[in-house]
Formats: sequence, structure tokens, C-alpha cells
Amino acid sequence: MSEYIVETESLCRRYQIGGETVKALDNVSIEIKRGRYVSIVGPSGSGKTTLFNMIGGLDRPSEGKVFIDKVDVSKLDAYELAWLRCHKVGYIFQTFNLIPVLTALENVCLPMIFAGTQKSERMKKAENLLEVVGLKSRINHRPSELSAGQQQRVAIARALANDPALILADEPTGNLDSNTGLEIINILKRMNREKGVTIIAATHDIKIIDVSDDVVWLSDGKIEKIEERERS
Amino acid sequence: MIRRNVRLPLSDSLWISLENIRKRQTRSIIVVMSTALGISYLTYFLVTNLIFSTFLQGKEGAIEAYNFWLIVVSIVICAVSLINSTMIAILERYNEIGTMKCLGAPDNHIMRLLLIESALLGLGGGFIGFTFGAVTGILSCCLELGLIVLRGLPLTGFLGLSGQTMVFSVVLSIISTAYPAIRAAKLNPVEALHYDV
Repeated sequence: MSEYIVETESLCRRYQIGGETVKALDNVSIEIKRGRYVSIVGPSGSGKTTLFNMIGGLDRPSEGKVFIDKVDVSKLDAYELAWLRCHKVGYIFQTFNLIPVLTALENVCLPMIFAGTQKSERMKKAENLLEVVGLKSRINHRPSELSAGQQQRVAIARALANDPALILADEPTGNLDSNTGLEIINILKRMNREKGVTIIAATHDIKIIDVSDDVVWLSDGKIEKIEERERS
Repeated sequence: MIRRNVRLPLSDSLWISLENIRKRQTRSIIVVMSTALGISYLTYFLVTNLIFSTFLQGKEGAIEAYNFWLIVVSIVICAVSLINSTMIAILERYNEIGTMKCLGAPDNHIMRLLLIESALLGLGGGFIGFTFGAVTGILSCCLELGLIVLRGLPLTGFLGLSGQTMVFSVVLSIISTAYPAIRAAKLNPVEALHYDV
């Protein structure tokens, strides 16, 4: 097992907007160590989400390379990318993005269905994960019957379903009030410490930055500085 | 290390599709009803045609020529209303499709889920449409030719017709779903997530 879970090499991403080329990411090279809690911080438009999408294999770079667990993402075809997203990466979104017609339990089961896990096994595991995030009593509720914080906790359980090596969280506390946000941050931190899963969070939230091991500061698509801290 | 064979068992895809239909009741009812409407229109003409040609042997030519165009029109109406409702139904779900892609669903799983769902809706619509169209067709023939029609109903012909219209209904709904489903499945997950209807 390599020391780095994510490595990028002179990563560039350009967009065409109305005939003009906009550089969302400009020559970004970072290395993220396995098992760390990393924040990507920067003002809006600094390329946070773009970098996040590249690292998660959701989008392809215009130039440069992204390695997840030593695999060059740009060399993968659509199926291999889907496999990577299914098994290696868990996603948490600002807007939760739960499937509205499915219950909490079914939402957590979904990634395991795509991974081909047996029904009895995935039900057991989903129940377990929901218990870990403190939602055991609400497993049969639909997202519309859950509060924002509870929905985000279902999303965390879902992100953990296939035991990913990496969890990507895009503004995970952006739609939550301060207390609920703190609960979510603490759950993520606990998962990071207990399961050893690497967490990368794109955020404005100072509370997330406080608990992070590493902080990557982005501005205008470039890395401004990388702050490494002692693990508490 | 990367394996390609992500399999989605048929039972799981059927389950997800059924859940989707059940929990999006209103939308499903609208789709089934619009299919049923087109199919019942089609069935009505086919059934009256069948009965008339059984009872008025030798004179069916004129009726057929007249009905042929009505049937063509009914098929077109049915197809257009189906395409319209499935397109909107899938557009509504772009965000959901994007999420599923982020969770690791390959393109063909998404396609399969959407197509199974539309086949089921098509089957339902076909059944309701055939029943309604056949009943109204028989009633209108009774009015024209008298109750004698009921005694000499061409049952085997009916059976054949029911099979044909159901298959037609399923094929039509799969075809009309295919285009939006292919587009949705091929979407980049990021685009799908940020798609606003």
C-alpha cells in the first residue's frame, strides 16, 4: 500500500465559456497522505469544486494526471471509472442528494447494490452503518421525513457503504446550522480516526478547518499554500 | 486491481424499478394513462374492424381503407404523448441519475433501470388500454349491428389482438424512453448533478 491515496501532477482544467477559455485549475500538484483529514479551502471560484471533481473521478482533466491509489484516473474508461467511484470513493454533497423515493436504509444499500453485494449482507451492513451515525430508529424513514442533519448522516452512512479508501465531501456543512454542522464534522472525524478512511472536504467552514490534519489553500485555480499539522 | 464486471442482478433492477413506479405514483399514473389512451384508441379501431369483417364478410375493404389512416393517426398520437411524458419524467430525475453515477452506477445500469421501468409502465398502459378499447369497441358494434355481435365474437382474433397491442405498447414505451435514457446515462455525473429543469 502506498503512502499517498491521492496524487495530482500539474493538473489543469479549462472550460470554454462563451468563446473564452477559463482556467479553473492551473498546474495543481498535491499529494494527500492516506488516513488524513484534509480541507480544501478557498473563496468561491477558486477551483475547489473542480479539484474535488477531478480527485473523485467525476470529471477529466484537460492536462496533467490524477492518481487515486496509484491508478491514473485519466486512463480509465467509463466502466472502470464507475468501478472506482463505487469501490474507492464515497461522496458527500452539500445538498445531501439522497434518492427521495428510497428509505434511509435503501439509500445506504444503493452503492452496495451497484457493487454486487448480496441482499442479506447489504441490509445488515446498512443497518450497522446507520447505527454508527446514530440513526438506528429512523432507518425506514424517507429523506423528506428526516431533518437536514439526519439526511446528511444518512449520506455519510451511504458514503461508507463500500468501505471506500477516500471520502470526498463538498461543503458538507454548507446547508446546516452551526450545531448540526458540528455534529456532522465530529462524525466525519470519528470515521477518519476509527476506520482510517481519508477525508477530503472542500469547505468555507472554519470548524472543519479546525479539525483537519492538512489544509490546502486554493486561489484562482492555484495552490496558495499547504498547511500540515500535527495530528491531535 | 480495477475490475470491470459490475453486475446488477435482474431481481435488484426489477425491485428498484418497481419502487420507483410505486413511490412516484402520480407520475406513473399519468404515464400509464397516456399510454392507455393511445392504445385504447388503437384497440377500438382494430376491434371494430375485426367484428365488422367477421359479420359483414366481403365488404370489409372499404372499412379497412378508412380505418387504416385512423389507426396510423392513433399510433402517432400515442407515441407523441408517450415520448413527451417519459422525456419530462427522466429530465426530472437528472439529479438523481447524477447521484447514482457518483455512487458507482455504470451507464448500462442506469439505462437498464429506466428501460425496465418504462417497459412495466407500457405493459400496464397496454393492458388498461386494450381492455377499455375492446369494451368500447364491442359496445359500439352492438349499437350498430345489434346484440348478435356478442354471440359471435371472434375470440381467437381478440386474443391475438390483445397480444399484439400489449407488445406494441411495451415496444413503443421502450422506444420513446430510449432516447432520453441514453442521454441521461451518458451524462457526465457533474453535469447531471447540476442540471436544472
